[in-house]
Amino acid sequence: MSIDLDLYQDIVLEHKRSPRNFGALPGATHQADGTNPQCGDQISVALKIERDRIAEVRFQGQGCAICMASTSMMTEAIRGAQTTAARQLQAHFRGVLTGTEEADEAYLGKLISLAGVARYPSRIKCALLGWHALGHALQSPLPASTVSATVTP
Amino acid sequence: MNARPPLSEASVLAHHAALRAQFPILAQPINGQPLVYLDNAATTQMPLAVQGAMRQFETTQRANIHRGVHTLSQRATDAFEQARSSLKRFVGAGGEHELVFTSGTTDALNMVAQGLSQGQDGRAAAIGPGDEIIVSGLEHHANLVPWQQAAWRSGATLRILLPDAQGRLHEDALARLLTPRCRIFALTACSNASGERPPYEALLALAKKSGALTVLDAAQAVGHSAMQLDTLACDFMAFSAHKMYGPMGMGALVGRRAALERLTPFRFGGDMVQSVSFDRAVFAELPARLEGGSPNVGGAVGMAAAAAFIESIGQHTLEAHLAELRQHAVWGLRQIEGVTVLSAQTPTSAIVSFVVQGAHPHDIGTLLDAHGIAVRTGHHCAQPLLDHLGTGPTTRASLAVYNTHEEVEQLLTGVTHAIEVLR
Repeated sequence: MSIDLDLYQDIVLEHKRSPRNFGALPGATHQADGTNPQCGDQISVALKIERDRIAEVRFQGQGCAICMASTSMMTEAIRGAQTTAARQLQAHFRGVLTGTEEADEAYLGKLISLAGVARYPSRIKCALLGWHALGHALQSPLPASTVSATVTP
Repeated sequence: MNARPPLSEASVLAHHAALRAQFPILAQPINGQPLVYLDNAATTQMPLAVQGAMRQFETTQRANIHRGVHTLSQRATDAFEQARSSLKRFVGAGGEHELVFTSGTTDALNMVAQGLSQGQDGRAAAIGPGDEIIVSGLEHHANLVPWQQAAWRSGATLRILLPDAQGRLHEDALARLLTPRCRIFALTACSNASGERPPYEALLALAKKSGALTVLDAAQAVGHSAMQLDTLACDFMAFSAHKMYGPMGMGALVGRRAALERLTPFRFGGDMVQSVSFDRAVFAELPARLEGGSPNVGGAVGMAAAAAFIESIGQHTLEAHLAELRQHAVWGLRQIEGVTVLSAQTPTSAIVSFVVQGAHPHDIGTLLDAHGIAVRTGHHCAQPLLDHLGTGPTTRASLAVYNTHEEVEQLLTGVTHAIEVLR
Protein backbone atom coordinates (compact mmCIF):
# COMPACT_ATOMS: atom_id res chain seq x y z
CA MET A 1 0.00 0.00 0.00
CA SER A 2 1.33 3.46 -0.80
CA ILE A 3 2.15 5.62 2.17
CA ASP A 4 -0.36 8.24 1.07
CA LEU A 5 -3.14 5.67 1.51
CA ASP A 6 -1.63 3.90 4.48
CA LEU A 7 -0.54 6.73 6.77
CA TYR A 8 -2.02 9.87 5.30
CA GLN A 9 -5.60 8.81 4.69
CA ASP A 10 -8.09 11.50 3.70
CA ILE A 11 -9.77 11.44 7.10
CA VAL A 12 -6.39 11.99 8.81
CA LEU A 13 -5.57 14.95 6.59
CA GLU A 14 -9.06 16.35 7.00
CA HIS A 15 -8.65 16.36 10.80
CA LYS A 16 -5.18 17.90 10.42
CA ARG A 17 -6.65 20.73 8.34
CA SER A 18 -9.66 21.30 10.60
CA PRO A 19 -8.93 19.93 14.05
CA ARG A 20 -12.04 19.41 16.21
CA ASN A 21 -12.35 20.80 19.72
CA PHE A 22 -9.32 23.01 19.18
CA GLY A 23 -8.75 26.01 21.43
CA ALA A 24 -8.88 27.10 25.05
CA LEU A 25 -11.41 25.61 27.45
CA PRO A 26 -12.85 28.13 29.89
CA GLY A 27 -13.83 26.45 33.12
CA ALA A 28 -11.47 23.51 32.65
CA THR A 29 -11.05 21.35 35.74
CA HIS A 30 -8.11 19.28 34.52
CA GLN A 31 -5.22 20.13 32.22
CA ALA A 32 -1.82 18.78 31.16
CA ASP A 33 0.78 19.15 28.41
CA GLY A 34 2.64 16.58 26.38
CA THR A 35 5.94 17.31 24.63
CA ASN A 36 7.75 15.38 21.92
CA PRO A 37 11.45 15.89 22.66
CA GLN A 38 12.45 15.13 19.05
CA CYS A 39 10.75 18.17 17.57
CA GLY A 40 9.58 20.20 20.56
CA ASP A 41 5.95 19.74 19.53
CA GLN A 42 3.64 20.43 22.42
CA ILE A 43 0.00 19.55 22.91
CA SER A 44 -2.06 20.81 25.82
CA VAL A 45 -5.26 18.94 26.69
CA ALA A 46 -7.89 20.56 28.92
CA LEU A 47 -10.90 18.76 30.35
CA LYS A 48 -14.04 19.77 32.17
CA ILE A 49 -14.90 16.77 34.31
CA GLU A 50 -18.29 16.61 35.99
CA ARG A 51 -19.00 13.61 38.24
CA ASP A 52 -16.38 11.42 36.49
CA ARG A 53 -17.71 12.32 33.07
CA ILE A 54 -15.73 14.33 30.52
CA ALA A 55 -18.28 17.05 29.79
CA GLU A 56 -15.90 19.07 27.62
CA VAL A 57 -12.46 18.59 26.08
CA ARG A 58 -10.31 20.93 24.04
CA PHE A 59 -6.72 20.88 22.94
CA GLN A 60 -4.17 23.47 21.89
CA GLY A 61 -0.67 23.45 20.50
CA GLN A 62 1.08 22.43 17.34
CA GLY A 63 2.22 19.18 15.90
CA CYS A 64 2.56 17.14 12.76
CA ALA A 65 -0.43 15.83 10.79
CA ILE A 66 -0.40 12.52 12.65
CA CYS A 67 -0.31 14.24 16.03
CA MET A 68 -2.99 16.79 15.23
CA ALA A 69 -5.34 14.25 13.63
CA SER A 70 -4.87 11.75 16.44
CA THR A 71 -5.57 14.34 19.13
CA SER A 72 -8.53 15.75 17.23
CA MET A 73 -10.12 12.31 16.83
CA MET A 74 -9.32 11.58 20.47
CA THR A 75 -11.33 14.59 21.63
CA GLU A 76 -14.31 13.46 19.55
CA ALA A 77 -14.08 9.96 20.98
CA ILE A 78 -13.85 10.91 24.65
CA ARG A 79 -16.19 13.88 24.78
CA GLY A 80 -19.12 12.89 26.95
CA ALA A 81 -17.44 9.65 28.05
CA GLN A 82 -16.82 8.46 31.60
CA THR A 83 -13.19 8.98 32.65
CA THR A 84 -12.72 5.23 33.06
CA ALA A 85 -13.91 4.68 29.48
CA ALA A 86 -11.46 7.35 28.25
CA ARG A 87 -8.64 5.58 30.07
CA GLN A 88 -9.64 2.24 28.55
CA LEU A 89 -9.72 3.71 25.06
CA GLN A 90 -6.33 5.30 25.63
CA ALA A 91 -4.90 1.94 26.73
CA HIS A 92 -6.33 0.15 23.70
CA PHE A 93 -5.16 2.81 21.21
CA ARG A 94 -1.68 2.74 22.69
CA GLY A 95 -1.70 -1.08 22.58
CA VAL A 96 -2.67 -1.05 18.91
CA LEU A 97 0.06 1.42 17.99
CA THR A 98 2.77 -0.34 19.96
CA GLY A 99 1.69 -3.71 18.55
CA THR A 100 0.59 -5.36 21.79
CA GLU A 101 -3.13 -5.42 20.94
CA GLU A 102 -5.19 -6.28 17.88
CA ALA A 103 -7.17 -3.29 16.65
CA ASP A 104 -10.86 -3.47 17.59
CA GLU A 105 -12.35 -1.57 14.67
CA ALA A 106 -15.83 -1.15 16.10
CA TYR A 107 -14.40 0.20 19.34
CA LEU A 108 -11.87 2.55 17.73
CA GLY A 109 -14.23 4.06 15.17
CA LYS A 110 -12.45 6.77 13.13
CA LEU A 111 -9.27 6.16 15.11
CA ILE A 112 -8.77 2.96 13.11
CA SER A 113 -7.47 5.27 10.36
CA LEU A 114 -4.35 5.75 12.51
CA ALA A 115 -3.68 2.03 13.11
CA GLY A 116 -1.14 2.10 10.25
CA VAL A 117 1.15 4.29 12.33
CA ALA A 118 2.21 1.06 14.07
CA ARG A 119 4.21 0.29 10.90
CA TYR A 120 6.22 3.54 11.30
CA PRO A 121 7.97 3.18 14.67
CA SER A 122 9.50 6.65 14.55
CA ARG A 123 6.02 8.16 14.28
CA ILE A 124 4.27 6.32 17.12
CA LYS A 125 5.28 9.08 19.54
CA CYS A 126 3.55 11.59 17.26
CA ALA A 127 0.26 9.70 17.32
CA LEU A 128 0.40 9.23 21.10
CA LEU A 129 1.39 12.78 22.11
CA GLY A 130 -2.16 14.05 22.65
CA TRP A 131 -3.14 10.81 24.41
CA HIS A 132 -0.14 11.15 26.67
CA ALA A 133 -1.33 14.64 27.60
CA LEU A 134 -4.85 13.24 28.18
CA GLY A 135 -3.49 10.59 30.55
CA HIS A 136 -1.73 13.27 32.58
CA ALA A 137 -4.70 15.64 32.42
CA LEU A 138 -6.99 13.00 33.93
CA GLN A 139 -4.65 12.92 36.94
CA SER A 140 -4.05 16.66 37.09
CA PRO A 141 -6.95 18.58 38.59
CA LEU A 142 -6.43 22.32 38.36
CA PRO A 143 -6.33 24.16 41.67
CA ALA A 144 -9.78 25.46 42.63
CA SER A 145 -8.55 29.06 42.40
CA THR A 146 -7.42 28.52 38.79
CA VAL A 147 -10.77 26.97 37.94
CA SER A 148 -12.71 29.90 39.32
CA ALA A 149 -10.27 32.33 37.70
CA THR A 150 -10.88 30.85 34.27
CA VAL A 151 -14.66 30.99 34.60
CA THR A 152 -14.64 34.61 35.73
CA PRO A 153 -15.16 36.75 32.62
CA MET B 1 11.84 34.43 -10.82
CA ASN B 2 15.49 33.71 -10.09
CA ALA B 3 17.41 31.94 -12.79
CA ARG B 4 18.65 28.50 -11.91
CA PRO B 5 22.32 28.66 -10.94
CA PRO B 6 24.76 27.23 -13.48
CA LEU B 7 25.68 23.65 -12.69
CA SER B 8 29.22 23.09 -13.84
CA GLU B 9 30.07 19.66 -12.54
CA ALA B 10 32.87 19.96 -10.01
CA SER B 11 35.92 17.87 -10.74
CA VAL B 12 35.08 15.47 -7.94
CA LEU B 13 32.35 14.17 -10.21
CA ALA B 14 34.82 13.26 -12.94
CA HIS B 15 35.33 9.92 -11.20
CA HIS B 16 31.94 9.84 -9.62
CA ALA B 17 31.05 6.27 -10.50
CA ALA B 18 34.29 5.01 -8.94
CA LEU B 19 33.76 7.19 -5.91
CA ARG B 20 30.18 6.03 -5.50
CA ALA B 21 31.37 2.41 -5.67
CA GLN B 22 33.38 3.13 -2.51
CA PHE B 23 30.03 3.32 -0.68
CA PRO B 24 28.16 0.07 -1.36
CA ILE B 25 25.54 0.96 1.26
CA LEU B 26 24.19 3.57 -1.16
CA ALA B 27 23.45 0.99 -3.85
CA GLN B 28 20.39 -0.46 -2.19
CA PRO B 29 16.71 0.24 -2.59
CA ILE B 30 14.85 1.75 0.35
CA ASN B 31 11.09 1.32 0.28
CA GLY B 32 11.39 0.15 -3.32
CA GLN B 33 13.26 3.26 -4.47
CA PRO B 34 16.99 3.93 -4.92
CA LEU B 35 18.37 5.31 -1.67
CA VAL B 36 19.02 9.06 -1.69
CA TYR B 37 21.05 9.56 1.45
CA LEU B 38 20.84 13.19 2.61
CA ASP B 39 21.39 12.76 6.35
CA ASN B 40 25.14 13.29 6.26
CA ALA B 41 25.20 15.88 9.02
CA ALA B 42 23.98 13.12 11.34
CA THR B 43 26.44 10.58 10.01
CA THR B 44 28.29 10.15 6.74
CA GLN B 45 28.74 6.75 5.17
CA MET B 46 32.09 4.99 5.33
CA PRO B 47 34.04 4.21 2.14
CA LEU B 48 35.56 0.81 1.50
CA ALA B 49 39.03 2.33 1.85
CA VAL B 50 38.30 3.22 5.47
CA GLN B 51 36.61 -0.12 6.16
CA GLY B 52 39.64 -1.81 4.62
CA ALA B 53 42.09 0.07 6.83
CA MET B 54 40.12 -0.95 9.90
CA ARG B 55 39.90 -4.57 8.77
CA GLN B 56 43.64 -4.54 8.10
CA PHE B 57 44.26 -3.41 11.66
CA GLU B 58 41.89 -5.99 13.11
CA THR B 59 43.37 -8.83 11.08
CA THR B 60 47.08 -8.05 11.35
CA GLN B 61 47.79 -5.57 14.15
CA ARG B 62 45.15 -5.85 16.86
CA ALA B 63 46.51 -5.90 20.40
CA ASN B 64 46.33 -3.59 23.37
CA ILE B 65 48.65 -0.63 23.24
CA HIS B 66 51.33 0.97 25.43
CA ARG B 67 51.68 -2.07 27.67
CA GLY B 68 53.11 -5.05 25.87
CA VAL B 69 56.66 -5.82 25.00
CA HIS B 70 55.46 -8.19 22.33
CA THR B 71 55.53 -7.37 18.63
CA LEU B 72 51.82 -7.16 18.02
CA SER B 73 51.36 -4.69 20.87
CA GLN B 74 54.11 -2.55 19.39
CA ARG B 75 52.43 -2.65 15.98
CA ALA B 76 49.11 -1.59 17.50
CA THR B 77 50.81 1.20 19.47
CA ASP B 78 52.51 2.39 16.29
CA ALA B 79 49.20 2.33 14.41
CA PHE B 80 47.52 4.34 17.17
CA GLU B 81 50.27 6.95 17.37
CA GLN B 82 50.50 7.11 13.58
CA ALA B 83 46.75 7.85 13.50
CA ARG B 84 47.27 10.62 16.05
CA SER B 85 50.02 12.22 13.96
CA SER B 86 47.99 11.98 10.74
CA LEU B 87 44.96 13.58 12.33
CA LYS B 88 47.04 16.39 13.84
CA ARG B 89 48.40 17.16 10.41
CA PHE B 90 44.88 16.85 8.92
CA VAL B 91 43.54 19.69 11.09
CA GLY B 92 46.63 21.85 10.73
CA ALA B 93 47.90 21.34 14.27
CA GLY B 94 51.39 22.68 14.99
CA GLY B 95 54.11 21.82 17.46
CA GLU B 96 52.29 23.49 20.34
CA HIS B 97 49.24 21.27 19.83
CA GLU B 98 48.27 17.83 21.08
CA LEU B 99 45.43 15.52 20.10
CA VAL B 100 43.44 13.39 22.52
CA PHE B 101 41.21 10.61 21.22
CA THR B 102 37.64 10.65 22.48
CA SER B 103 34.43 8.80 21.65
CA GLY B 104 33.21 11.78 19.64
CA THR B 105 32.54 15.50 19.70
CA THR B 106 30.14 15.28 22.65
CA ASP B 107 32.73 13.40 24.69
CA ALA B 108 35.42 15.93 23.73
CA LEU B 109 33.31 18.95 24.65
CA ASN B 110 32.33 17.37 27.96
CA MET B 111 36.00 16.72 28.63
CA VAL B 112 36.71 20.43 28.22
CA ALA B 113 33.65 21.74 30.09
CA GLN B 114 34.13 19.37 32.99
CA GLY B 115 37.90 19.65 32.96
CA LEU B 116 37.79 23.44 33.31
CA SER B 117 35.04 23.60 35.92
CA GLN B 118 36.23 20.97 38.32
CA GLY B 119 39.21 21.33 40.63
CA GLN B 120 41.24 18.47 41.95
CA ASP B 121 43.96 17.57 44.44
CA GLY B 122 44.14 21.08 45.79
CA ARG B 123 44.27 22.54 42.33
CA ALA B 124 41.48 25.08 41.74
CA ALA B 125 39.20 24.76 38.74
CA ALA B 126 40.00 27.09 35.83
CA ILE B 127 36.69 28.89 36.35
CA GLY B 128 34.86 29.94 39.48
CA PRO B 129 32.18 32.25 40.87
CA GLY B 130 32.08 35.60 39.12
CA ASP B 131 33.63 34.24 35.94
CA GLU B 132 31.72 34.20 32.68
CA ILE B 133 31.26 31.65 29.92
CA ILE B 134 29.98 32.79 26.53
CA VAL B 135 28.38 30.24 24.25
CA SER B 136 26.96 31.09 20.84
CA GLY B 137 23.27 30.69 20.18
CA LEU B 138 23.98 28.47 17.18
CA GLU B 139 25.20 25.54 19.22
CA HIS B 140 24.19 21.91 19.21
CA HIS B 141 23.06 20.82 22.67
CA ALA B 142 26.49 19.14 23.00
CA ASN B 143 28.16 22.55 23.05
CA LEU B 144 25.56 24.15 25.31
CA VAL B 145 24.44 21.69 27.97
CA PRO B 146 28.01 20.87 29.17
CA TRP B 147 28.54 24.63 29.66
CA GLN B 148 25.27 24.97 31.57
CA GLN B 149 26.58 22.21 33.83
CA ALA B 150 30.02 23.81 34.07
CA ALA B 151 28.46 27.12 35.08
CA TRP B 152 26.29 25.42 37.66
CA ARG B 153 29.24 23.43 39.03
CA SER B 154 31.66 26.35 39.26
CA GLY B 155 29.36 29.25 40.07
CA ALA B 156 30.25 31.00 36.81
CA THR B 157 27.66 32.84 34.71
CA LEU B 158 26.61 31.56 31.31
CA ARG B 159 25.95 34.16 28.61
CA ILE B 160 24.64 33.53 25.11
CA LEU B 161 25.90 35.25 21.97
CA LEU B 162 22.58 35.47 20.17
CA PRO B 163 22.36 35.41 16.37
CA ASP B 164 20.41 38.02 14.42
CA ALA B 165 17.00 37.28 12.88
CA GLN B 166 18.72 35.59 9.92
CA GLY B 167 20.69 33.35 12.24
CA ARG B 168 24.05 35.11 11.74
CA LEU B 169 26.61 35.86 14.43
CA HIS B 170 28.35 39.24 14.56
CA GLU B 171 31.67 40.38 15.96
CA ASP B 172 30.24 43.57 17.44
CA ALA B 173 27.66 41.56 19.37
CA LEU B 174 30.47 39.44 20.84
CA ALA B 175 32.51 42.56 21.61
CA ARG B 176 29.58 43.90 23.64
CA LEU B 177 29.33 40.66 25.63
CA LEU B 178 33.03 40.18 26.38
CA THR B 179 34.27 41.35 29.74
CA PRO B 180 37.57 40.73 31.54
CA ARG B 181 35.70 38.05 33.53
CA CYS B 182 34.96 35.99 30.43
CA ARG B 183 37.06 32.85 30.77
CA ILE B 184 35.60 30.67 28.03
CA PHE B 185 34.05 31.24 24.61
CA ALA B 186 32.48 28.22 22.87
CA LEU B 187 31.41 28.30 19.24
CA THR B 188 30.51 26.04 16.35
CA ALA B 189 32.30 26.11 13.00
CA CYS B 190 28.94 25.36 11.34
CA SER B 191 25.49 25.08 12.86
CA ASN B 192 24.13 21.57 12.48
CA ALA B 193 20.55 22.88 12.61
CA SER B 194 20.59 25.87 10.27
CA GLY B 195 23.75 25.26 8.24
CA GLU B 196 25.04 28.72 9.19
CA ARG B 197 28.80 29.02 8.93
CA PRO B 198 29.75 31.82 11.34
CA PRO B 199 32.90 33.90 10.90
CA TYR B 200 34.52 31.71 13.54
CA GLU B 201 38.09 32.81 12.78
CA ALA B 202 37.31 36.43 13.70
CA LEU B 203 35.04 35.55 16.62
CA LEU B 204 37.63 33.24 18.19
CA ALA B 205 40.34 35.88 17.70
CA LEU B 206 38.23 38.50 19.42
CA ALA B 207 37.49 36.27 22.41
CA LYS B 208 41.12 35.18 22.64
CA LYS B 209 42.30 38.79 22.61
CA SER B 210 40.06 39.47 25.57
CA GLY B 211 41.72 36.62 27.48
CA ALA B 212 39.18 33.83 27.11
CA LEU B 213 39.94 30.19 26.38
CA THR B 214 38.33 29.38 23.04
CA VAL B 215 36.47 26.20 22.11
CA LEU B 216 35.47 25.27 18.57
CA ASP B 217 32.97 22.53 17.69
CA ALA B 218 34.21 21.51 14.26
CA ALA B 219 31.98 18.44 13.84
CA GLN B 220 30.15 19.89 10.83
CA ALA B 221 33.28 21.34 9.21
CA VAL B 222 36.11 18.79 9.15
CA GLY B 223 34.29 16.55 6.66
CA HIS B 224 34.78 19.10 3.89
CA SER B 225 36.79 22.13 5.07
CA ALA B 226 40.53 22.21 5.64
CA MET B 227 40.98 23.38 9.22
CA GLN B 228 44.12 25.40 9.92
CA LEU B 229 44.41 25.07 13.65
CA ASP B 230 47.83 26.72 13.82
CA THR B 231 46.39 29.92 12.34
CA LEU B 232 43.25 29.92 14.51
CA ALA B 233 42.92 31.60 17.90
CA CYS B 234 41.60 28.29 19.15
CA ASP B 235 42.51 26.50 22.37
CA PHE B 236 40.29 23.44 21.97
CA MET B 237 38.73 21.94 18.87
CA ALA B 238 36.40 18.93 18.89
CA PHE B 239 35.34 16.70 16.00
CA SER B 240 33.87 13.28 15.24
CA ALA B 241 35.03 10.52 12.92
CA HIS B 242 31.56 9.48 11.80
CA LYS B 243 30.78 12.88 10.28
CA MET B 244 33.93 12.69 8.13
CA TYR B 245 33.47 9.25 6.51
CA GLY B 246 34.97 7.44 9.49
CA PRO B 247 33.69 5.00 12.10
CA MET B 248 31.04 5.74 14.71
CA GLY B 249 31.96 6.13 18.37
CA MET B 250 35.27 7.85 17.64
CA GLY B 251 36.40 11.45 17.81
CA ALA B 252 39.11 13.80 18.95
CA LEU B 253 39.88 16.80 21.06
CA VAL B 254 42.81 18.72 19.67
CA GLY B 255 44.16 21.82 21.29
CA ARG B 256 47.05 23.86 22.52
CA ARG B 257 49.09 21.82 24.98
CA ALA B 258 49.05 24.62 27.54
CA ALA B 259 45.26 24.68 27.40
CA LEU B 260 44.88 20.90 27.51
CA GLU B 261 47.10 20.84 30.58
CA ARG B 262 44.54 22.96 32.41
CA LEU B 263 41.93 20.22 32.09
CA THR B 264 41.28 18.14 35.16
CA PRO B 265 41.06 14.53 33.97
CA PHE B 266 37.68 12.94 34.53
CA ARG B 267 38.30 9.40 33.40
CA PHE B 268 40.64 7.79 35.88
CA GLY B 269 42.20 4.38 35.51
CA GLY B 270 44.84 2.58 33.56
CA ASP B 271 47.14 4.21 31.02
CA MET B 272 46.52 7.74 32.32
CA VAL B 273 48.83 7.45 35.32
CA GLN B 274 52.55 7.74 35.80
CA SER B 275 52.72 6.06 39.18
CA VAL B 276 50.16 4.77 41.64
CA SER B 277 50.25 3.86 45.31
CA PHE B 278 47.34 2.69 47.43
CA ASP B 279 46.87 6.29 48.55
CA ARG B 280 47.32 8.36 45.47
CA ALA B 281 48.33 8.60 41.85
CA VAL B 282 50.51 10.83 39.75
CA PHE B 283 49.01 11.40 36.35
CA ALA B 284 50.80 10.83 33.09
CA GLU B 285 51.71 13.54 30.63
CA LEU B 286 49.46 14.54 27.76
CA PRO B 287 47.86 13.00 25.82
CA ALA B 288 47.75 9.82 27.96
CA ARG B 289 46.47 11.66 31.04
CA LEU B 290 43.19 12.36 29.23
CA GLU B 291 42.89 8.91 27.65
CA GLY B 292 42.19 6.64 30.62
CA GLY B 293 41.35 3.04 29.75
CA SER B 294 41.97 0.91 26.68
CA PRO B 295 41.31 3.07 23.64
CA ASN B 296 39.39 2.34 20.46
CA VAL B 297 42.52 1.67 18.42
CA GLY B 298 40.66 0.36 15.39
CA GLY B 299 38.52 3.50 15.52
CA ALA B 300 41.59 5.72 15.56
CA VAL B 301 42.99 3.85 12.56
CA GLY B 302 39.66 4.28 10.77
CA MET B 303 39.49 7.96 11.63
CA ALA B 304 42.95 8.56 10.19
CA ALA B 305 42.00 6.59 7.07
CA ALA B 306 38.91 8.80 6.74
CA ALA B 307 41.12 11.89 6.90
CA ALA B 308 43.30 10.38 4.17
CA PHE B 309 40.16 9.74 2.09
CA ILE B 310 39.14 13.40 2.40
CA GLU B 311 42.64 14.56 1.53
CA SER B 312 42.73 12.27 -1.50
CA ILE B 313 39.74 14.19 -2.89
CA GLY B 314 40.92 17.52 -1.58
CA GLN B 315 38.96 19.89 0.62
CA HIS B 316 38.80 22.58 -2.06
CA THR B 317 37.18 20.15 -4.49
CA LEU B 318 34.85 18.91 -1.78
CA GLU B 319 33.78 22.40 -0.75
CA ALA B 320 33.16 23.36 -4.38
CA HIS B 321 31.07 20.23 -4.97
CA LEU B 322 29.01 20.71 -1.82
CA ALA B 323 28.54 24.43 -2.44
CA GLU B 324 27.12 23.66 -5.88
CA LEU B 325 24.77 21.02 -4.55
CA ARG B 326 23.65 23.31 -1.75
CA GLN B 327 23.09 26.21 -4.15
CA HIS B 328 21.02 23.90 -6.34
CA ALA B 329 18.92 22.70 -3.40
CA VAL B 330 18.43 26.20 -1.98
CA TRP B 331 17.44 27.54 -5.39
CA GLY B 332 14.99 24.70 -6.01
CA LEU B 333 13.40 24.81 -2.56
CA ARG B 334 12.85 28.54 -2.85
CA GLN B 335 10.83 27.98 -6.03
CA ILE B 336 8.33 25.94 -4.01
CA GLU B 337 5.59 28.05 -2.51
CA GLY B 338 5.68 28.36 1.27
CA VAL B 339 9.24 27.07 1.71
CA THR B 340 11.77 29.07 3.72
CA VAL B 341 15.43 27.99 3.71
CA LEU B 342 17.48 28.84 6.80
CA SER B 343 20.84 30.56 6.31
CA ALA B 344 20.31 30.45 2.55
CA GLN B 345 23.36 32.62 1.79
CA THR B 346 25.91 31.10 4.14
CA PRO B 347 29.25 30.08 2.58
CA THR B 348 30.82 26.58 2.63
CA SER B 349 28.04 24.66 4.29
CA ALA B 350 26.74 21.20 3.44
CA ILE B 351 23.45 21.65 5.29
CA VAL B 352 20.15 22.79 3.82
CA SER B 353 17.58 23.29 6.56
CA PHE B 354 14.08 24.45 5.66
CA VAL B 355 10.55 24.90 6.90
CA VAL B 356 7.33 24.61 4.93
CA GLN B 357 4.24 26.55 5.79
CA GLY B 358 1.43 24.16 6.69
CA ALA B 359 3.54 21.01 6.51
CA HIS B 360 5.31 19.58 9.55
CA PRO B 361 8.89 18.29 9.11
CA HIS B 362 8.01 14.84 10.52
CA ASP B 363 5.33 14.40 7.86
CA ILE B 364 7.68 15.63 5.13
CA GLY B 365 10.41 13.29 6.38
CA THR B 366 8.12 10.26 6.41
CA LEU B 367 6.80 11.03 2.92
CA LEU B 368 10.37 11.53 1.61
CA ASP B 369 11.44 8.23 3.18
CA ALA B 370 8.65 6.49 1.26
CA HIS B 371 10.53 7.65 -1.85
CA GLY B 372 13.87 6.42 -0.54
CA ILE B 373 15.06 9.88 0.49
CA ALA B 374 16.70 10.05 3.93
CA VAL B 375 16.61 13.44 5.66
CA ARG B 376 16.58 14.48 9.29
CA THR B 377 13.58 16.22 10.84
CA GLY B 378 12.98 17.91 14.16
CA HIS B 379 15.03 20.39 16.11
CA HIS B 380 18.37 18.63 15.50
CA CYS B 381 19.51 18.96 19.13
CA ALA B 382 19.42 22.75 18.76
CA GLN B 383 16.07 23.63 20.25
CA PRO B 384 17.07 27.05 21.68
CA LEU B 385 18.30 28.23 18.26
CA LEU B 386 15.14 27.21 16.40
CA ASP B 387 13.00 28.72 19.17
CA HIS B 388 15.01 31.94 18.91
CA LEU B 389 14.66 32.06 15.12
CA GLY B 390 10.96 31.29 15.50
CA THR B 391 11.07 28.54 12.86
CA GLY B 392 10.26 25.59 15.11
CA PRO B 393 11.39 22.17 13.89
CA THR B 394 12.89 21.94 10.40
CA THR B 395 13.56 19.45 7.65
CA ARG B 396 17.29 19.12 7.08
CA ALA B 397 18.96 17.74 3.97
CA SER B 398 22.71 17.45 4.39
CA LEU B 399 25.15 16.70 1.61
CA ALA B 400 28.29 14.66 1.17
CA VAL B 401 30.86 13.85 -1.49
CA TYR B 402 28.78 11.06 -3.05
CA ASN B 403 25.62 13.13 -3.55
CA THR B 404 24.62 14.33 -7.00
CA HIS B 405 22.53 17.01 -8.67
CA GLU B 406 20.15 14.25 -9.71
CA GLU B 407 19.61 13.44 -6.04
CA VAL B 408 18.97 17.09 -5.28
CA GLU B 409 16.30 17.04 -8.02
CA GLN B 410 14.76 13.95 -6.38
CA LEU B 411 14.65 15.84 -3.10
CA LEU B 412 12.91 18.78 -4.74
CA THR B 413 10.36 16.50 -6.41
CA GLY B 414 9.82 14.65 -3.14
CA VAL B 415 9.25 17.85 -1.16
CA THR B 416 6.81 19.12 -3.78
CA HIS B 417 4.90 15.84 -3.60
CA ALA B 418 4.87 15.85 0.22
CA ILE B 419 3.42 19.35 0.25
CA GLU B 420 0.72 18.31 -2.23
CA VAL B 421 -0.28 15.45 0.07
CA LEU B 422 -0.21 17.49 3.26
CA ARG B 423 -1.78 20.79 2.31
